[in-house]
Amino acid sequence: MTRVSIRFFAAIAAFSLLAACGPDDSGREDAQDPPETAAPADSAESGIRIDVSYQTLDNGLRVVMVPDSTIPTVTVGVYYGIGFRIEPRDRTGFAHLFEHLMFQGSRHAEKGEFDKLINGSGGVNNGSTRFDFTNYFEVVPSSALEPVLWIEADRMAFPDITQEKLANQQGVVANEVKVNVLNQPYGGFPWLDMPQYANENWYNAHNFYGALDDLEAATLEDARDFHDRYYAPNNAVLVIAGDFDPAKATRWVEKYFGPIPQGDAITLPDISEPRQEEEKTAAKTDPLAPRPALAFAYHMPERGTDEYYAMALLDQILIQGEDSRLYQALVKDKGYASGVEGGINLLGNMFNYDGPMLWTAAMIHGEEFTPEEIMTTVDGVVEGLRAEPVTEAELARARTKLLSEFYGVVDSPTRFGLVDLLASFALFDDDPARINRIEGGFDNVTPALMLETAEEYLRPGNRTVLRIEPGAAQDQQ
Amino acid sequence: MARLITLFALLIALPAGAQTGGNDGDWLAERPKAGEPKNFDLPEIDTVELDNGLEITFIPFGLAPKATISARIRTGNVNEGENTWLADIAAELMSEGAGERTGEEIAIAAAEMGGDLEVGVDPHVTAFDMAVLSGHAPDAIALMGDVIQRPALPEDDMERVKANFIRNLSVALSQPRGQAASAFLGALYGDHPYGRVFPTEAQLRSYEIDDVRAYYEQNFGAERTHIYIAGRFDRDAAEAAIRESFGDWREGPAPLVAPPDPRMGPEVILVPRASAPQSTIYLGLPVFGPENEDAIPLEVTNALLGGSFSSRITQNIREDKGYTYSPTSQILYNYQDGYWRFRADVTTDVTGAALGEVFKEIERLGAEAPPKDEAERTRNYMAGIFVLKNASPWGLIDQIAFTDFHDLPGDWLEDYVPRVLDVSAEDMRQTAAQRLQLDNMILVVVGDLDAIKPQLESLPRLSGATFDIRDETGAPVENEQDAQ
Repeated sequence: MTRVSIRFFAAIAAFSLLAACGPDDSGREDAQDPPETAAPADSAESGIRIDVSYQTLDNGLRVVMVPDSTIPTVTVGVYYGIGFRIEPRDRTGFAHLFEHLMFQGSRHAEKGEFDKLINGSGGVNNGSTRFDFTNYFEVVPSSALEPVLWIEADRMAFPDITQEKLANQQGVVANEVKVNVLNQPYGGFPWLDMPQYANENWYNAHNFYGALDDLEAATLEDARDFHDRYYAPNNAVLVIAGDFDPAKATRWVEKYFGPIPQGDAITLPDISEPRQEEEKTAAKTDPLAPRPALAFAYHMPERGTDEYYAMALLDQILIQGEDSRLYQALVKDKGYASGVEGGINLLGNMFNYDGPMLWTAAMIHGEEFTPEEIMTTVDGVVEGLRAEPVTEAELARARTKLLSEFYGVVDSPTRFGLVDLLASFALFDDDPARINRIEGGFDNVTPALMLETAEEYLRPGNRTVLRIEPGAAQDQQ
Repeated sequence: MARLITLFALLIALPAGAQTGGNDGDWLAERPKAGEPKNFDLPEIDTVELDNGLEITFIPFGLAPKATISARIRTGNVNEGENTWLADIAAELMSEGAGERTGEEIAIAAAEMGGDLEVGVDPHVTAFDMAVLSGHAPDAIALMGDVIQRPALPEDDMERVKANFIRNLSVALSQPRGQAASAFLGALYGDHPYGRVFPTEAQLRSYEIDDVRAYYEQNFGAERTHIYIAGRFDRDAAEAAIRESFGDWREGPAPLVAPPDPRMGPEVILVPRASAPQSTIYLGLPVFGPENEDAIPLEVTNALLGGSFSSRITQNIREDKGYTYSPTSQILYNYQDGYWRFRADVTTDVTGAALGEVFKEIERLGAEAPPKDEAERTRNYMAGIFVLKNASPWGLIDQIAFTDFHDLPGDWLEDYVPRVLDVSAEDMRQTAAQRLQLDNMILVVVGDLDAIKPQLESLPRLSGATFDIRDETGAPVENEQDAQ
């Protein structure tokens, strides 16, 4: 048996005697013990209970705190209610470009300081732009929480964006698009392509990564307007999770974020999608692709409805894991492809969006199989779910997979998955404690409800089929 | 009383004045400092060995009621000889039926436990991984026992699996990084399996089920197997399940050690990729394995040079010049071997400029010790990342398996951070100067050669260099215009 301890810093060696007596040390000795809230093994009811506190500052900033001292790090997430869906019409890709600009320095921390602070204290950070939010997150040793809150507040209030920085990040983002889309076979397939074909409303159907000329056209004035409109505390959620003292953290949050002025209320445009009646098909030529590819997508039931939870279980049965019906039919029986991948919200998960969404499946397949042949097999699987209720055993298996996946999200040293769920539930539902009721939504799902859901949402008329054809021809519809 | 109230009002008004915030930002003027970080205590880890040589390591650490099980067998691409990817095909076929179960039954059984049986092959190890709800750990072990010891290796699935690998090969060869990695590792390791990244399509077609079965028979056994189990689980039940499932397995052979003979540069290889909007750059050289005393100094040096977001190369060619999105450098280890490699995808018309900056940063670090604060931030970063790498069931399995694989001393995990913190600014300079000499490096650029060749020729560092032009399979290109 060995017992080892990893030290963060040399300094700790000199101070360790002192620290061992200090009040902040109490959580350390038993850090390896399982949390008390943890339940006995196995039972699906056991669950994990997450101790969530939630408050709103006077300026409208929503603050979620979840203390847990198992690992001596703390994770901070700042989520703004601005996703690429609602970016300006003549500025595709702007929400994402602006995300980059938020790392370019702020009034009290010049360019480069942000990464120096986070990396230099032993942490990592990043940001991302998604359908309905832009997020910024970092995980650092517990002792670095205060400076992290300070610098997040500084860039929320006073990002320092200049023409030079804008031009620099226009170059970086153009390279990002090239490396992920333009110079890649199957670049953008299907995550960037499918919403553009399947949706009708511009907000859901434009190029979220951005046309290169739109990115180049962005101005400083665009950036200022965008910040003023969307980056106010009343349009944001701050999550702190991990090893910290909630009383101290509350003081710091009030000190650094409290004085930031509230912004104007935001009026969201109409992002709804009409009910799709007829199946749509599209084809795109990919000069870099050596083999054809095929994707198909269905519009999801509205988030939070009974059908939405039923669809999440249908997702497990259709495509998640090698036991899934599509894997068995398309990969094992027919050998069309080495895998079939997809699910709800390819840029996230079933919880972290707030608007129309697609369920998508995709594969790169052998050129000896036609799309028509593959779709006939798909129809066999899908029509099975629309004709006959699933068995209780298959439903139970789907629930087990979901539960296990949820535990996997929570059990991560960065806690980014946990923070993402908390932030999404705060931002979209004003209810981060919903994380403890995740299983509840699935409890009401019966085989009968799944059948009804499949009848309406897995209709051919609710579907878009996208083919990728290898070769150098023009795009065609 | 009135005065007192006024005073109170005034006192409240003062912070309230600050509360209005506005544009002065005074409340943010003073930058707070971080406190002293705490230690991260590892769980009690123990290892037992069965009579047949199979080892089991128990790692009781995790928040969620899950058990993460990884069975790692010391066989991989170094064991397949010249039959590139045969190890991958064998691993894929192993879960297509085993013991009394069909492939579909295996997948369903795994799903009912809340898991997926995943298999991965690298040059040295074939790993079967599963994370299941805690109570299912013994069942998961039994399932893995079937797949690992009694695979059917069904002939009926062979053609389908081969077709998948042939398709995957064509996709990998169409990706710029696949093309670059193939050329780079081919130049570095030649005919050693480390250098044979891709098979040919004809090779894949030639494999038969008997080749797969022979590979399995020659390479799988208890002596080469180490099972790691991490998370929250009943240790005694897990050990009993492993003894029952694996206790009678044949010992099989000891791990194969196949040391490579890596080549140094200078060497420049260009791979044509017609009209590519970016050039994909790989630049690197052989170093050593993690057991070498210079390994940790080089890891820290690398983090400062190109291995972190705050690193010099990233700050220069991304944050200052906007030439690229995700440049990175890292050290990749084999057994008692390793290489340092920088990689970036840069816009075509600044390929020469970007590469010139990379050369400059490497030489500058070898010439001048970095400022003390930069060195300190880098050490802190490496220490912090190390904790993040370890603090999860998968992370601990990976780290402990890493120390086992490389025969590192038992206190390696414990000593890692103090050793990182011992690397001085001058050590970083010396390490860069000794270990990262540009004259020893192999450079691969995949891109639009018409556009990039003149840029590369005008770099002083490359003046007089021979440009070896090869296609994505590594074959020399006689007439580059044809290839474009």
